[in-house]
Amino acid sequence: MIQLIASLLLRAAVVLTGAALATFALLWHAPGDPALAIAIARYQAVVPAEVVDQVRTEAGLDAHFWTAFQAWVGPLLVGDFGQSSVTGRNVWPELVTMISYTLPLALAGLIIGLLTSVPLAYVATRRPGGWLDRCAVALASIGAAIPAYWLGLLLILLFAVQLGWLPAMGTRTPAHIILPALTLGLGVAASLTRILRSGILEARGQPFLPAFRRRGVANRDIERDHVAPHAAIPVVTVFGLELAFLLEGVVMVEVIFARPGLGSFLVSAIEARDFPKVQAVVVLTAVLFVTVNLLIDLIYRALDPRIGERDA
Amino acid sequence: MTITATGLCAIRSGRTILHPTNVDIRPGERVGLVGASGSGKSTLGHALIDRLRAQGQRVAHVPQSPDEALDPLRSMAFHWREAEHALNLSPDPTRRQDLFAALHIEGSDLNKRPWGWSRGMQQRFVIAMALIGTPDLLVMDEPTSALDSVVAAGTMDLLDAYLSDRKTALLLITHDLGLAARRVNRLMVMEDGRIVEDAPTEQFLLAPVTQAAKSLCAHRNWLELPC
Repeated sequence: MIQLIASLLLRAAVVLTGAALATFALLWHAPGDPALAIAIARYQAVVPAEVVDQVRTEAGLDAHFWTAFQAWVGPLLVGDFGQSSVTGRNVWPELVTMISYTLPLALAGLIIGLLTSVPLAYVATRRPGGWLDRCAVALASIGAAIPAYWLGLLLILLFAVQLGWLPAMGTRTPAHIILPALTLGLGVAASLTRILRSGILEARGQPFLPAFRRRGVANRDIERDHVAPHAAIPVVTVFGLELAFLLEGVVMVEVIFARPGLGSFLVSAIEARDFPKVQAVVVLTAVLFVTVNLLIDLIYRALDPRIGERDA
Repeated sequence: MTITATGLCAIRSGRTILHPTNVDIRPGERVGLVGASGSGKSTLGHALIDRLRAQGQRVAHVPQSPDEALDPLRSMAFHWREAEHALNLSPDPTRRQDLFAALHIEGSDLNKRPWGWSRGMQQRFVIAMALIGTPDLLVMDEPTSALDSVVAAGTMDLLDAYLSDRKTALLLITHDLGLAARRVNRLMVMEDGRIVEDAPTEQFLLAPVTQAAKSLCAHRNWLELPC
């Protein structure tokens, strides 16, 4: 067990190092002059060349790649995300504020996704191939095909503009979270429904189930104790991917609904070429990913210990 | 009470797999159901189980392979509890110990999942589980074809010993006449979804009547087999 966790942690460390290095290299070698972008963002005006050079020196952009990378990673290892190139303020407190906006939205989206997909998949699989099942599959396919930004705009048009039921922009009241959460949640629901549906159908086809029925085990108990765990395995497997979908969705949704949060934070930081902020978001995302995947690995082994046995 | 089921039949996608069939089995009787693959043996077994269950009789089933009887994600202990619960029995450690002792699987780790046990042990566990409620009839569908012949013979011996002083009747479904001949006192032969011959074992072996029975006897040097 200790060996297993150690190997998983080692894998996580490799992924994190790779993510940090790749982000830094991509930003460093991106075309255009970052110093100019930072200077414009800082002074909100066209700036003379000597000011741009000054910014370049201040932001450490004239250094060698590896020197700059070390200057960034060194403090990061002890939890220091550095200062914004534009404002000079520490990145971490701002990041925490943004997380406090994004986390509830992401969770609300996830909960809506689960609350929609689980009953939908269950109802659909009661009679596979029936009209309910076909409707569910059609809905899920359409839902998966609609990009978040378009769905968000449609929801704004319908509920905010036409009907005037819900607010669309900003975060003033709790009601402001409904439309963005719905935009996120419906996307999650679409992909989860398809996975759950096929998972349940596959689980119902397990060769041992008829014997359980002949043994007199009630159908309700078979569904709960044997079908559900087998159907959960593919869902747990794709949960990591689902998280990627969720993060991507959050960035779009926050921009569409003019909400503060990690998404809008990232977009404005990229526009200003504010490297420390961009890198902070990317590292944070990478850590989140690696942690979730680590947990999934462990849950997976708890659900189906055969996986661990095969590795050994 | 004699076990009786009449008019058992099965039709799958327009094809009759099992023509209307009546089955009578006396308490404690050992009956073999033999026939070639696809003759409808398993279908008759399933139809019989479903009918008897519907009639409120206690009937237990042992499928061909433990893979068809056990959920790989659940522990052996879970399976046992579930089987007791399905029969509305309260958990009884003594009953479990007796059955485990009878089938020589005592001392095994019940917290393991099926694949943590050998297949022979799994199959004996399934048989033990089938005997929990002391059923009127135990239907075994090719119970030993997933085991090697030595383990299979051992398992059948243990079951014979356990059933010898009980009223539980046995229906042994197999294509292996050698296995059936040693274990049962009456043989039924199936062909194309019908029971074509039904006779005491000795009479059957000495003077098979139908072509299906004759070919079964001819194809098996049944006395040479260990089980």
